[in-house]
Amino acid sequence: MNALKRYWWLILLAAIAVYPVIGKPSPYRSGLLIFAGIYIILAVGLDLLMGYTGQISVGHAAFFAVGAYTSGILTAKYGFSPAAAMGVGVVFSATLAFLTGRPVLALKEYYLAMATLAFNEIVVTLIIGFEGLTGGASGLRDIPPFTIFGFSLLNHLHYYYFVWTVVVLVIASSIAVVRSPFGRALIAIHSDEQAARSFGVDCAKYKTRAYMLAAVYASIAGSLFAHYMGFIAPDDFGILTSINLLVMLFLGGIGTIFGPALGALFLKLLPEITYQFQDYELLINGIILIVVLVFFPRGLFGIFTALRNKIVPRMGK
Amino acid sequence: MKRFVFSVFVLMVFVALVAAGPAWSKEPIKIGGIFSLTGYLSWLGEYKKKAAELKVEMINQAGGVNGQQLVLISYDDNSSPEQASKVAQRLISKDQVVAMAGTASVPLSGAVASMANRYKIPTIINSGYAVDTSKDPYLFNTSHKTDFAVITAYKVFQKKGIKKLALLMPIGPLGEIGGTAARKYAAEYGVTIVGEEKFDVKAADVTAQLAKIRNMNPQAIFAFVTGEPAALIGRNMDQLSFKVPLLVSHGNANPGFLKLVSNVRTQMLVPSGKVMKPEALPDSDPTKKVIVEFNKKHIAKYKEPANYFSAELADAIDLIAEGLRTSGTTDPVKLRDAIENIKGFVGMQGIYTFTPKDHHGTRPDDMILLTVKAGKWEVPK
Amino acid sequence: MSDISHLVQFLFSGITVGSVYALIAVSLVIVYKVSQLICFAQGEFFVFGALTMTTLVSKGVPVPLAFFLSIIIAMALGALIQQVLIRPMKNTSVGALIVMTIAISLALRGLALLIWGRESHVLPPFSRGEPIQVLGAALQLQILWIVGITTVVLFLIWFFFEKTPAGIAMRACAENPYGASLMGINTQKTTLVAWAWGSGIGALAGMAVAPMLFTQYTSGIMPMVKGFIAMSIGGLGSIVGSVIAGLLLGLVESYTIGLISSKFSDTIVFALLMAVLVFRPNGLFSRS
Repeated sequence: MNALKRYWWLILLAAIAVYPVIGKPSPYRSGLLIFAGIYIILAVGLDLLMGYTGQISVGHAAFFAVGAYTSGILTAKYGFSPAAAMGVGVVFSATLAFLTGRPVLALKEYYLAMATLAFNEIVVTLIIGFEGLTGGASGLRDIPPFTIFGFSLLNHLHYYYFVWTVVVLVIASSIAVVRSPFGRALIAIHSDEQAARSFGVDCAKYKTRAYMLAAVYASIAGSLFAHYMGFIAPDDFGILTSINLLVMLFLGGIGTIFGPALGALFLKLLPEITYQFQDYELLINGIILIVVLVFFPRGLFGIFTALRNKIVPRMGK
Repeated sequence: MKRFVFSVFVLMVFVALVAAGPAWSKEPIKIGGIFSLTGYLSWLGEYKKKAAELKVEMINQAGGVNGQQLVLISYDDNSSPEQASKVAQRLISKDQVVAMAGTASVPLSGAVASMANRYKIPTIINSGYAVDTSKDPYLFNTSHKTDFAVITAYKVFQKKGIKKLALLMPIGPLGEIGGTAARKYAAEYGVTIVGEEKFDVKAADVTAQLAKIRNMNPQAIFAFVTGEPAALIGRNMDQLSFKVPLLVSHGNANPGFLKLVSNVRTQMLVPSGKVMKPEALPDSDPTKKVIVEFNKKHIAKYKEPANYFSAELADAIDLIAEGLRTSGTTDPVKLRDAIENIKGFVGMQGIYTFTPKDHHGTRPDDMILLTVKAGKWEVPK
Repeated sequence: MSDISHLVQFLFSGITVGSVYALIAVSLVIVYKVSQLICFAQGEFFVFGALTMTTLVSKGVPVPLAFFLSIIIAMALGALIQQVLIRPMKNTSVGALIVMTIAISLALRGLALLIWGRESHVLPPFSRGEPIQVLGAALQLQILWIVGITTVVLFLIWFFFEKTPAGIAMRACAENPYGASLMGINTQKTTLVAWAWGSGIGALAGMAVAPMLFTQYTSGIMPMVKGFIAMSIGGLGSIVGSVIAGLLLGLVESYTIGLISSKFSDTIVFALLMAVLVFRPNGLFSRS
């Protein structure tokens, strides 16, 4: 039964692949999962930076915006192919993270939180300010659907498979990163930066690289978001989105890759249940979060692993 | 055993219900509503939702459409484009509505437009979003064009001899749209734009910008904003004893705004639909009857008169119903064509005549300019 | 209107906004000093203060009574939250605590929506009267109230922390919680008192500025962010530093709008903030 314990993620993978065939979801259902998938990419990237490297960011939506707007502007206004535009977005985000990473990540804790928050606001105000290019606060329209080699992914099921393929790749690569020597260096920085430095780890370099990786994931998520929405506006990329990502991380269980993914999924699907409470929705959402945080300090993923550990040995007998 | 008997019972009831269902009556026709009930636009979402519900009720009491009842399924968009896009999709694919109505801001309308065009569902929005029929074939707008609001005000300016106008525009979609419209028609009505300042709608104070504007010596200020910031500018102008009229957006034509400006002395000019001042309309105006009738029911049901937002939604539902009537089907694509062919339909916002190029349908003459005097709406002399 | 009157008008505008930032920053600092935690629900106390007072005043309660009642209600609310929700989370990470305060702010916002509805509320000014003309610029009476309240609060804080046994105990707690507990100081009680203070001052900021604004259930987000900024420029733990930083922030905003560009004022403010953080990582007023 140890096999189940080790290969449970295969079941997950199968579930993702089979769901559209068995569930026959409406465009709405798959749409929900597409949005959830996009946020999983964001949350997992942020987890590399926060959960493993220990660098807080309250401005991760900035790179989400950069990806979305690079894709949106290049495809809607300059006729780029979506894949090429996504590539440009990735390069642009990585460069931006590289340039700002060193000075910003030299800061600690709340100062770092503040600086990343400011960075987020700067990106949003620039988007609003340069309305000729970005559509300003009114939003950018006419973003075409994603195409791969001329094949349009307008169909919701096609896009579902595309987004979730990216999700799986992001999660898999994140796990690979965490288990690599690079990942171990990140964890070392998290637990004790001074000690890591004394062992010859170039902390600034490693932190910047983690930051760049998180930015790249966020940028990809942004591109996926823009092509799915067909329309983007600055409202969706503000610090409230960044704060939401923080909540996803801690709700799911930070520093576990799967935890933040679970947190993103939960937080994105929660309104489907709570919307019917209307005026009480906000209060109920707040209370649900409080309850999880108070009673399950290791987050939703903590509950999940506890259950798994309980069930698996019993089944083994 | 007990449990088994119970399960069989539940199953039988279920089967009976399913079997009896179609025998009741024809299925109602579903219309989707997208309203901002939470978030920063939530203060106006409620007005729109109430009016839409009332209009659906009125149509149903009069026998429905083509022998079928209408049903409004509405959701909250949280004032967020992402959520608006999600609920639009929910309405389209899960609830399978034939048409949609609502949305309160330009970005929200943009997000919904993208879904409406993709899934070919006629949608009647009501915001400052300018419908470009070549890109948004499925979109209609019952909000008056910003151009009309500006023209309505400029006509009054011409009469009063106001020639120098300063712009104080919010950073955001309204400011962008308002500034463009103000410049577009300035020359035609002999108005000179003496300068423009920007402000953040979340700001606590705009006296710094007003001080700069005062140096430009304008005869009036135009701030295309809705709600709190509009009242805040008026209040700051009071504080500076800066006594020129302040023209704001047509989104302010509602009772909430009267409360906000209750202790503001600056003269507020608010372009509006005729719904806000039915008693000032001549009996020859065909919209008067529609407005008065809806207003009566609105007061009876909600204890307050209808306002600009109510009229936008009442007309949106009415136009969808009219399209359903003339097309005789519930096929969304045919419904769209039917709405586009509506000519001379008398609503509360004016007389709608749509064409393949014009999905707003109303005219500048369908608007009036209002001012606030002693807590009441007045037509400026 | 001359250029000088312009500059004076920008000064008034900056001081008004800056005082609000300063008060919020102070309310954050007090909680931070004792528990090393930044409470993201502080903006909600701002809203609760303003709206409670508006309701009381509209129900006919005299302004001074409404003023003190609102503060007491906010303090009780803050203390209750600390006792019930924050205290049990003693052994969790700072990150989890921050997210906890975010969750609390969501719940409080939801509560405000249920109590006060969606519309904006207007509180009449504390005293009626025409604005005073100073060098050609208009000074609203409410600004004098705001500045006056800020000064009194700062004095009270100084007095409390420097002159009263409870305050000195709190400072000890902030500097060395373990040592303080060895000395027989009840750290739990001091944390509670700090939260009550913080919530009260947050509410006070909301009440002081309510006559100049329109308050609704979502109004707390922006002041919270700006207060947080002021606090970090001031160096997190410093009350004086955060007051100066708050005022400075208000003035920079106002003069950027007035003299440079209103369109990019936020861009400039945040860029300055990043510059300060990068070049003076321990706050603008740190000695190192």
